[in-house]
Amino acid sequence: MLRFRASIFKEILLLIRDRSGLAILFFMPVALVTIMALVQDAPFRDYQELNIPALLLNQDEGAFGEQILARFDSSRMFDILEITGDEQALKKKIADGTYDIGIVIPPGVSDYILAQSNGYAEQMMRDLGMPVLPSELPGIDSTKQVGIFFKPGVKQSFRQAVLQAIRQESSQLETATLIRSFKTILGAEDDGEQASDFGNFVAFRERPVGDEWLEARQTNSVQHNVPAWTMFGMFFIVISLAGSIIREREEGSYLRILTMPGSYLTVLLGKMTAYLGVCLIQCALMLGVGVFFLPLLGLPALDMQGMTFLNLALVATSCGLAAVGFGVLTGTICQTHQQASTFGSVSVVILAALGGIWVPVYVMPAVIQSIAEWSPLFWGLNAFQHVFLGNGQFQPIAAYLLYLQLFFLCCVGISLLINRARQQA
Amino acid sequence: MCNSGRSRVQQAENDQGVNPTEALIDIQSLRKEYPGLALPAVRDVSLSIQEGEIFGLLGPNGAGKTTTLSILCGLKNPTSGHLAISGFGYAGDRQVIQRLIGVVPQEIALFPKLTAWENLRFFGNMFGLTGAVLKARAFELLDQFGLAEFRDKQIGTFSGGMKRRVNLIAGILHHPRILFLDEPTVGVDVQSRNMILNLLRGLNQQGMTILYTSHHMEEAADLCTRIAIIDHGTIIITGHPADLIRQHQVPNLEHLFLNLTGRNLRDEC
Ligand SMILES: Nc1ncnc2c1ncn2[C@@H]1O[C@H](COP(=O)(O)OP(=O)(O)OP(=O)(O)O)[C@@H](O)[C@H]1O
Ligand SMILES: [Mg+2]
Repeated sequence: MLRFRASIFKEILLLIRDRSGLAILFFMPVALVTIMALVQDAPFRDYQELNIPALLLNQDEGAFGEQILARFDSSRMFDILEITGDEQALKKKIADGTYDIGIVIPPGVSDYILAQSNGYAEQMMRDLGMPVLPSELPGIDSTKQVGIFFKPGVKQSFRQAVLQAIRQESSQLETATLIRSFKTILGAEDDGEQASDFGNFVAFRERPVGDEWLEARQTNSVQHNVPAWTMFGMFFIVISLAGSIIREREEGSYLRILTMPGSYLTVLLGKMTAYLGVCLIQCALMLGVGVFFLPLLGLPALDMQGMTFLNLALVATSCGLAAVGFGVLTGTICQTHQQASTFGSVSVVILAALGGIWVPVYVMPAVIQSIAEWSPLFWGLNAFQHVFLGNGQFQPIAAYLLYLQLFFLCCVGISLLINRARQQA
Repeated sequence: MCNSGRSRVQQAENDQGVNPTEALIDIQSLRKEYPGLALPAVRDVSLSIQEGEIFGLLGPNGAGKTTTLSILCGLKNPTSGHLAISGFGYAGDRQVIQRLIGVVPQEIALFPKLTAWENLRFFGNMFGLTGAVLKARAFELLDQFGLAEFRDKQIGTFSGGMKRRVNLIAGILHHPRILFLDEPTVGVDVQSRNMILNLLRGLNQQGMTILYTSHHMEEAADLCTRIAIIDHGTIIITGHPADLIRQHQVPNLEHLFLNLTGRNLRDEC
């Protein structure tokens, strides 16, 4: 126990003495989290709340124009600016590139819909043999088409989505109008209900295949980036830990310790404990940035609603152990600082890429996905997400914790074997 | 100095007889091959060192001194051969041996970012020393080595001679029965060297058996009760320095050394 305590104490002293190294260990990940969350804010919004700048030229004076406007206003998809003037003016603005889409609702569309639905209703009644005062079914009027104009270069998928949204609104209004026409003909009182839910008998379950749970919840840049770069930052201690191991080997204190009674593992455990402490402080710092600092920059705060302290502590410790184990292995395998910093940084970047730190794993090709599931950063990131957004259960993170801890044990085990082999060589 | 050491050994030999199995350090036919090295670094080295000796292992660069010492310290396993320290072997009694020995490596095996006292505290703790006992012992040694006022300064700021002295203190904090030193006086000035050698004599007088390596013939002749000259991994000659000089009719040990090991440079290895 004395040797263990002495090793922790020595390591802490060494860490504190290396001010710049320590500053890098803490400052770099914090900068990384902040910058990444800011940089990826826009791309994430693409999928979430677009606020696409849109123009609306509403020449209709009835319900249709109003409803389209209300609908787009309330959705976070569009940032609608209503303009007056004519179609040419609107087209010109779209062509300028300031606005992505422009919608033109021609005059009298509402009346047209009403006339159409009245006509259909009467015709149907007549077909059923009901006595109805004859009225004319107006023909299709091409001047009543809703015009939708897109900025050049707008993606086809996006155009489809916008068209779909307007079509849906239009058909709901048509259905509601039709029902009202029937009611009028049948002499029922118009209670003013829009029957807007009409037509939604069939509901849809929309779910991505894969880690649907996660994808559905990674609602913004902060929610993805904070845990992702926290993992990445924690793994970057690999370089300084490996450096410390190599330095002690070069300086000879490692050999001196080997000539002393007791197992080297005790000393190594002390070193690992100190570095684990660094990892945990890094983690706390970066989560703190997510919760308190990023909102100051206009980003959403990190959502940790599902968190229990115990789960967070378990995940953070397991991730830290995995990082520390990898650092020990790197320091053991690599002969020089040069090797360690190159191998350490490249391997951490590869593990991070595979782990879904940059690009979510579910958009990767199938082959890569199956490899990705072996990255400790993948386990760590998923475990963090489950802790933040789950409902406090332990079960979803259990497997990840196990993998991370096994990874740690393997790394340390292999390192000890390598050390032993070297000594015997 | 040399004579007093020899008389002590003679006394020990009279007391114990010259039975090599009674030797404190006993190595027989030690051989060490490194992968990738055409010749073994150590081949057929046999030594037997009695309690109370100061034994010098002398040889040119690459002769196999550090390798032999590393095997004695348990840092390397011999390819073949037998080793016993106080009758114990590393295979079964590693911890027992480690409690008997102190090691002063060739390089400055200290933490440069820690102060002298922090280094000594750490290594003292490794030996199970703590608290006031450790502090008293470390401060006493720092004082003896003229480092009292530097104990709270980082090793990285020390001169070469000061580092060597702290390097030595770290190996003797726990009062080992046997002390292995690998070139403890390399790169130090005359003053530091004198201080180190005097301290080694003092420790020896307190009963510590010392095995040390060096390139300094005069120093070894002055300090050691016995020496061995090793070259190309083989011991060429063993004996009391004065006896060897007399037997070979040379003015000093350096002449003997050059006669035995040749005048060629040893950088080729
Ligand atoms: N780890 C190793 N791997 C391969 N060869 C080694 C290793 N250590 C030493 N050697 C070789 O073994 C031989 C003996 O080296 P050793 O360090 O024991 O010599 P030495 O007598 O201590 O030399 P010096 O006076 O320069 O310290 C040398 O040829 C050296 O190159
Ligand atoms: Mg050497």
